[in-house]
Amino acid sequence: MTSLVKSRLIKFLLSLIIVLIAVLIIIFNLRDNIIYFYGPTELLKNPDKQGQIMRLGGLVSVDSVQNETDSIFYFSITDGDNEIEVKYEGILPNLFAEDKGVVVEGVYMNDGRFIANKVLAKHDENYMPPEVMETLKKSGKWQGE
Amino acid sequence: MSLYIFYISNFLLLLCLTASLMQSSKIINNKIFTRPSVIVLAYVQLISILSSFLILIYLFLISDFNFDLVYFNSHSEKPLIYKFSGVWGNHEGSMLLWILILVLFNFLFALSRRTSERFKEITVAIQSIMIFGFVAFLFFLSNPFTLNQNNFFDGIGLNPILQDPLLAIHPPVLYVGYVGFSLVFSQAITGLITKEVDQQWASIVKPWVFSAWAFLTAGIALGSFWAYYELGWGGYWFWDPVENASLMPWIAATALIHCVLILQKRNVMQSWTVILAILTFSLSLVGTFLVRSGILNSVHTFASDPGRGLFILLFIFLILAFSFSLFAFNSEKINKTSSMGLISRGTGIQVNNWLLITILTIVFLGTMYPLATDLLLNKSLTVGPKYYSTTIAPIIILFLFFMFISPRLGWTDTKLYKIIIQLRYLIITSLTITLIISLYFELFNLTEILIIFFSLLLIISSMTASINFNKQNILVRTNLGQNLAHAGFGILMMAVVSNAVYSEERIYNAKVGDNLQLKKYIFSFDKIEQIEESNYNSLKAYFQMKKDGKLVDTFTPEIRFYSNPPTITSEASILHKFFSDIYLVMNVPQDQQSISVRMHIKPFMTILWLGTLMIIIGGIISASIRIGRFDEK
Repeated sequence: MTSLVKSRLIKFLLSLIIVLIAVLIIIFNLRDNIIYFYGPTELLKNPDKQGQIMRLGGLVSVDSVQNETDSIFYFSITDGDNEIEVKYEGILPNLFAEDKGVVVEGVYMNDGRFIANKVLAKHDENYMPPEVMETLKKSGKWQGE
Repeated sequence: MSLYIFYISNFLLLLCLTASLMQSSKIINNKIFTRPSVIVLAYVQLISILSSFLILIYLFLISDFNFDLVYFNSHSEKPLIYKFSGVWGNHEGSMLLWILILVLFNFLFALSRRTSERFKEITVAIQSIMIFGFVAFLFFLSNPFTLNQNNFFDGIGLNPILQDPLLAIHPPVLYVGYVGFSLVFSQAITGLITKEVDQQWASIVKPWVFSAWAFLTAGIALGSFWAYYELGWGGYWFWDPVENASLMPWIAATALIHCVLILQKRNVMQSWTVILAILTFSLSLVGTFLVRSGILNSVHTFASDPGRGLFILLFIFLILAFSFSLFAFNSEKINKTSSMGLISRGTGIQVNNWLLITILTIVFLGTMYPLATDLLLNKSLTVGPKYYSTTIAPIIILFLFFMFISPRLGWTDTKLYKIIIQLRYLIITSLTITLIISLYFELFNLTEILIIFFSLLLIISSMTASINFNKQNILVRTNLGQNLAHAGFGILMMAVVSNAVYSEERIYNAKVGDNLQLKKYIFSFDKIEQIEESNYNSLKAYFQMKKDGKLVDTFTPEIRFYSNPPTITSEASILHKFFSDIYLVMNVPQDQQSISVRMHIKPFMTILWLGTLMIIIGGIISASIRIGRFDEK
């Protein structure tokens, strides 16, 4: 083999190995880090989702927000048909309010409660998270356009 | 009055359309269309778009609510600077700004003297085809100059989160980066047409590609800096789809600038360079428009305005189809085989090219996967930030190693062990520092240790290479732009890792008079004040920070209540120190007695921005030096 062919062959094999390893790592990592989004009704229909990290979205039920101590909050998320009780420890975002859209991230527990470690809220008070909009449309409670 | 402006501005857009069409026809080499000349047409294109842009600024400044765009995006009580930046705080205005920059690059290249007439003609023609397409899109599908019949008394307003001086300059800087690659793309296509992608081509392209890259870097950095102090989450990068959209062209462009350098020096990798030029520009288009039209945020917004989204997708598709078929026909003719040694600088750069493409793929998959599942399976999901950090970190280790070793290798075959022996002191020094750091700070994660070690190697070797007076060693002659940017990247990576490991956060509910503690600092909550400003009301808390009983600084986190449109924002109060930032944010009080306050210690933030700044300056230096002193052996 001439040195040119040899060097090309080595380069080709080297890059092939790199690509293979990379693709495998990417796929496995992607699968481990996916966080699914559910609405309350969807979640109640699938009890097998308990114990997983996920996002839950809907409207904050009216008169459901309570705080136990300064930083532990209880509230319910509803899509109009069903609701799920959420426990959250931390600071609620500025735009968190009853009857407004909200998305929380956390774990759906065996007792049917949702322990949230993040409450996501956008900065525009008219903004409705698209997933929440979809959830409300599914339950027929959507009143927008 | 408004009616006249309406006619004039739309006429200007049509004028630019006509000029661009004539300019495009010069792609065919004939003798009929020699007049008007390329330069005259370039002037017409620039002046028409520049005037319509100035008119739009004028409309915003005088708050002419007869125009829809002004009505929806401005308000008479807004401070002057935000009326001004409101011009590009919306889809139509930002499109016009985008086109203005496109035309500006076209104009500057038409004036440049360093190319052959024919090369210039074709490049400008291709650029003008794009100008034509985008001006047509602007005119028909997102016209900024449309009138409404109602006499609105006042406008709706600009989202307060966008009312920030940094965010006023962030889009223009970012756009100069994105659009700069349009010119590089046109030059690549011209190279394919004339079958001349060679060393001379590379030296024509080099200043353009480097300046676009420097601007893109600066644009991303500004956006990140803004997120850090305006969003109030204490983070500077969230792997959000919108951020990823700007990172993807940057990664491709980083590979591209290195290929242009190899091409200029060694006349190799012609095809790959052309592919990267096409890829970078396509990703820039994705970056600008998918964010603007809302496709990346949500697939549903796409459906609500299919015209815009479809046009952009169609345009990207046409560009890819056209360029790759041209490439398929002509790529064999631009490739000239010349050899590079196996263990050589060229190979090192090639390997890092592959690593960059891998990182690009990771970011692309993470960004597009949720879109795909939503469209195909109607299933909403998010990809957690951990996916990016854990997947990219190991690649960064390899990447840093090749970044460190490649500039030390020659262009022809080099003996690796000789280089290692030559660099033994450097390696020992870095190893020692890494050991000290990891023992002192109790850092035992292998990935983190390795990133710090190779970053140190890269920083020290780049810095010493810049100040090396050893005349015998030709390999490490001064190459300021490169060394500065490389050292900056090493510093950035070290800061990113240390910041991720050592950030601290405490949350308190505080009443006036409380003393809160964060590590060795005591914060006493003095008072809370209500303040009325012209366009918002605010609630401002005063904290005195003491260390060992001595007053260090006063923090004033703030919540602003805007009324047009009604929005609440948190303004963080940040103390920048060299080794760490102290960061306070407060949120809307849950009850009347207390406020919630979040405190962060963010180590190495100043150093992180410093590293980024070094990368940008390095890029600017490389752009301005005509013949890179990419040393020859």
